[in-house]
Amino acid sequence: MNSRSLKQLSVRATVALWIIFLAFAVCIGSLVRVAIIDGEEYKLKAEKNQLLDTKVSAGRGTIYDANMNVIAKSASAWLVYIVPSKIESDEQRKQIVSMLSETLKIDEETLTQKANRDSNYVKIAGEVEEEQKNKIQDYIKQETKKNKKSKINEIIGIDPDTKRYYPYSNFASTIIGFVNSDDEGTAGIEKKYNSELTGISGRIIAAKNARQSKMASEYETMFAAQEGSNLVLTINEVVQYYLEQSLNQAITDTGAKYAYGIVMDVDTGAILGMTSKPDFDLNSPNTVFSESVLEDLEKIENEEEKKKEKQNALFAQWRNRTISDTYEPGSVFKTVVVSAALEEGVVDLNTKYTCTGSIRVADRTQNCWKLGGHGTETLTEGLMNSCNPFFITIGQRLGKEKFYKYFEAFGFTEKTNIDLPAESVPVPDVTYHSLEKMGISELSSSSFGQTFQVSPIQMITAVSAIANGGKLMQPYIVDSILDTDGNVVKKTNPVVKRQVISEKTASTVAGMMEKVVSIGTGKNAYVAGYHVAGKTGTSEKLNHKGFYIASFAGFAPADNPEIAILIAIDEPEGAHGGGVVAAPIAGEILEKVLTYLNVEPQYEDSEMKNISSTTPQLVGKTVEQAKQIASNYKIKVIGGGKEVVSQTPAASSQIRTGGVIVLYTDETAAKQTVEVPDFNGMTMSQANSAANREGLNVRFSGTTNSSGVNAYKQSVEAGNKVEIGSVITVYFKTSVNVEDN
Amino acid sequence: MADTAARRRPSGRSGSASGRAKKKNSSGGFSKYLAMGSFDVPFLLLVIIILTTGLVMLFSASYTYAYYNEHGDSAYFFKRQLAFAVAGVVFMLLISKIKYEYFKLLAYFAVPVSLVLLVVVLIMPARFGDFHRWIYIGSFSFQPSEIAKLAIIMYCAYGLEKDHNLLIGKTVGRTKISKLIMDYSNGRIAINDSFVKLCWYGAVILVTAVLVYAENHLSGAILICGIGVTMLFLGEVKKHWFALIVIVGVIMVIFFVMNPELLEKYAGSRITAWLNKDYEPLGARWQTNNSLYAIGSGGLFGAGLGNSKQKHLYVSEPQNDFIFSIVCEELGLIGASIILIVFALLVWRGIVIGIHAKDRFGALLSMGIVFQVGMQTILNILVVTDTIPNTGISLPFFSYGGTSLMMLLAEMGIVLSVSRYSRLTKK
Repeated sequence: MNSRSLKQLSVRATVALWIIFLAFAVCIGSLVRVAIIDGEEYKLKAEKNQLLDTKVSAGRGTIYDANMNVIAKSASAWLVYIVPSKIESDEQRKQIVSMLSETLKIDEETLTQKANRDSNYVKIAGEVEEEQKNKIQDYIKQETKKNKKSKINEIIGIDPDTKRYYPYSNFASTIIGFVNSDDEGTAGIEKKYNSELTGISGRIIAAKNARQSKMASEYETMFAAQEGSNLVLTINEVVQYYLEQSLNQAITDTGAKYAYGIVMDVDTGAILGMTSKPDFDLNSPNTVFSESVLEDLEKIENEEEKKKEKQNALFAQWRNRTISDTYEPGSVFKTVVVSAALEEGVVDLNTKYTCTGSIRVADRTQNCWKLGGHGTETLTEGLMNSCNPFFITIGQRLGKEKFYKYFEAFGFTEKTNIDLPAESVPVPDVTYHSLEKMGISELSSSSFGQTFQVSPIQMITAVSAIANGGKLMQPYIVDSILDTDGNVVKKTNPVVKRQVISEKTASTVAGMMEKVVSIGTGKNAYVAGYHVAGKTGTSEKLNHKGFYIASFAGFAPADNPEIAILIAIDEPEGAHGGGVVAAPIAGEILEKVLTYLNVEPQYEDSEMKNISSTTPQLVGKTVEQAKQIASNYKIKVIGGGKEVVSQTPAASSQIRTGGVIVLYTDETAAKQTVEVPDFNGMTMSQANSAANREGLNVRFSGTTNSSGVNAYKQSVEAGNKVEIGSVITVYFKTSVNVEDN
Repeated sequence: MADTAARRRPSGRSGSASGRAKKKNSSGGFSKYLAMGSFDVPFLLLVIIILTTGLVMLFSASYTYAYYNEHGDSAYFFKRQLAFAVAGVVFMLLISKIKYEYFKLLAYFAVPVSLVLLVVVLIMPARFGDFHRWIYIGSFSFQPSEIAKLAIIMYCAYGLEKDHNLLIGKTVGRTKISKLIMDYSNGRIAINDSFVKLCWYGAVILVTAVLVYAENHLSGAILICGIGVTMLFLGEVKKHWFALIVIVGVIMVIFFVMNPELLEKYAGSRITAWLNKDYEPLGARWQTNNSLYAIGSGGLFGAGLGNSKQKHLYVSEPQNDFIFSIVCEELGLIGASIILIVFALLVWRGIVIGIHAKDRFGALLSMGIVFQVGMQTILNILVVTDTIPNTGISLPFFSYGGTSLMMLLAEMGIVLSVSRYSRLTKK
């Protein structure tokens, strides 16, 4: 062929070539568009797909009491979910539902509903225990074995989860709080310290392939989880236990709606015990525990309303009333008024007042709670008698400015800022009278603790200020924060908010308050040897006519106070006076707590006769020698031997002089037992002789040096058998001269 | 010297073919079948560059997929492709030694054979979904559409040379059909021989394309049409006819893009997926999306050879149609553009060889082959960048496929054979 005949061809070929080049240019243009112009967007999407971002949850911190007992702890558990969209047949659905229902104890109806959802993820249960998880895994294995094609392992999924355990169940439940299903604290300390307890969850970021498995280790970056911190509370398990035990008993005994109490270290403001009864089991916070509430709930027919009411019941159950509720402090508040008056010098210990039974305030007559009046009384007697007209006079002498100054100084117009959630906020002219709106009648009623409200935590903080020499402390409940290795990360330092009254005034008031307990309305809180100071209070509820709050606030020992206590019994049935209802409980608790805290008792001579001497060591002595040594006691010998092999009570026990010591001379001799008599209602001497008749020793507790004292409680219940010689504690209280209002 | 060799006419009996004879000029009796002279070295270099790059990229792109799908053998695809490449290069050199005139003999049978194979493949059971694209012989498999492409090129090259004068002339009645119609209509209906021939070649191309489309292979059909149209254009079909062809083609493309449901289900859904970027992200668009993510991840400079992340099972079967997205991710826009430029150079060199070829047959053969490679490359890139619907088209020299690679190298051998007679070196 010659080139001329191919000329036309080469022209066309050149055209075609240019078209192809153009097309190549379009290709490169497309690449520029995808790689550069939209490149970032695609790159981000690619990275999002490629990253395997696994959350490594941090373990929630442990909560300890002051003695390092575990109060709340997290342990690993499992979360079970299903993928209903992958269920292959109705038969399979049924099987899965019945298996899960059996293993997890969830009713089939709920599960069937969940299994019928057209969804790729339905959570069945969290906090599943290891044992249950294993059962489910076994089932999956079995099914896969039976049918190799079965997708059961894609239908049922198991993920790690954590579960919070509260080994002491109800213990301090209203302060500890609990966590929700997302492991977030929703109440109490769990809520307040949620961020400290939670820690920071870690992440593993790795490149993954499209089958969700890791691509290669070199791409992997790990951010370790930072475990949650541990908390050490100021709450002392023993103190808390005594407090809760007594208040549970109080609810049973008095039929009260609620009972709450706080025990505080007066020097630091640390809370040693705090409770609000009735409470709940922290391990199942969503169960209503009050039977009466449950009954009421059952009666509601409307499901919607029932649900709402149940939620309200739960909120009520979770409520820490010692900080969230307010009440009229009543006569307890007189301690604050008298402190202010002494500090300002408007009264002194020699101030006298004659109570005629009533006083005119503005255009009204205010009656004293005692008809006919208290007659002429000193300031101390006025407090002992809880005389209202006297305190109205004191309040008026103080004037509203000074009254308000101290009201504010003692912390009643502000939150205490305790480290717990949901502390009630004082609202001027709602919960208390503001200075601007305070008239003579408001000032007068406030002077004896009526017509305004405070929270229990405010009240005990104020009382603690009197106890510790005038310093208003900021109460706190977390002593320290520990890291996972137990090192102290943060230690709470006690915060002195301000000096409210002088040390001198404080100690004067403390002395007066001791008198209130030793011979005044608070004598039921008396504890021999511990010089309890305190004040009772009884207040009619502003918003619930005819119902009362009986309270007692105090501290001990009066000369060198260690702990303060506040007990409030909300709506007791029958007797409702603070001196009758609350004081004995406070006394009981104080005795146990002070003994536990190793506070050395200092007995007055008058008290000595009722207690005790220390029993001598008689084991190893001959019977003759023993009788000589223990000549102050009644000796009872059991067995025919010459030498004492054991004794009841053991050496160094505290019993009354003249009590019984049983000596055993024969190792094989069976210990003799005896039925404990019922001491209820007996006077001290009656109780003593009843005990001696049976060969038992008694120890008296409570008020013992005043008139009208009767036993109301005993450490071993009547009818139980104990060894002869055993020591039974009998609690006494009086109903005479303990009323106030 | 190429000329002197070319002047030698084939004569005498044929002997058993042997590559060894290459160095001895016209000594054996079979030497009349052998092409003499040197082939075009730049073209061979371009082929080797593309082939090697393709192999390296195939290994890089396929090892994760191979690891998961071929029992942990990461080099599975690479080893096989390498074996075919080596065999293919030998095959290419052998073919380049054959005088290309003898391919005219093949051109006679090429179209009938390829049509038979295209019908056979429809009857054979499909192994992947509903795609009747492969014929399996033992452990080998090949796509008849690959053969059909070469058959069309060969047949058109042969026929368009033979009928050149008819095609460009204005004669009437010199073709059988035109004569027949004239006779029966007593000369009243006079049809241009040029038109008759055009219809004939058009019919051959269309029948082949329709059969390929019946395999559920839309892109193959498009490519056949493209090759056919190019061959007709180069074969100097009259401009107005050609303009008509282009107009009809454009109208058809627009029609099917606007009415994808009229196409078979698979092709239709691919078009829908192209029009609607949110369509079935885990289904029809999975591959395309991940291809875009790969190209985007590569950016300007790429992640570096071997560092693609998208090849880790995101881009499904990264050794096949979408290998170029991995190339872009690892080598970046710059690397990818260089590769495209090399492809363009290959096309250019093939055209140059054709322009300077000894005869029209050689010219059309060489040009047809490189245009086919060029068009396939362009279509592949446009698919990978989501510029046109994902129709399933492989990238020459890069995508995995042994027989297809062998075919390609054989075609390159043909171009080389043509180049031995072209007057390039004289320039």
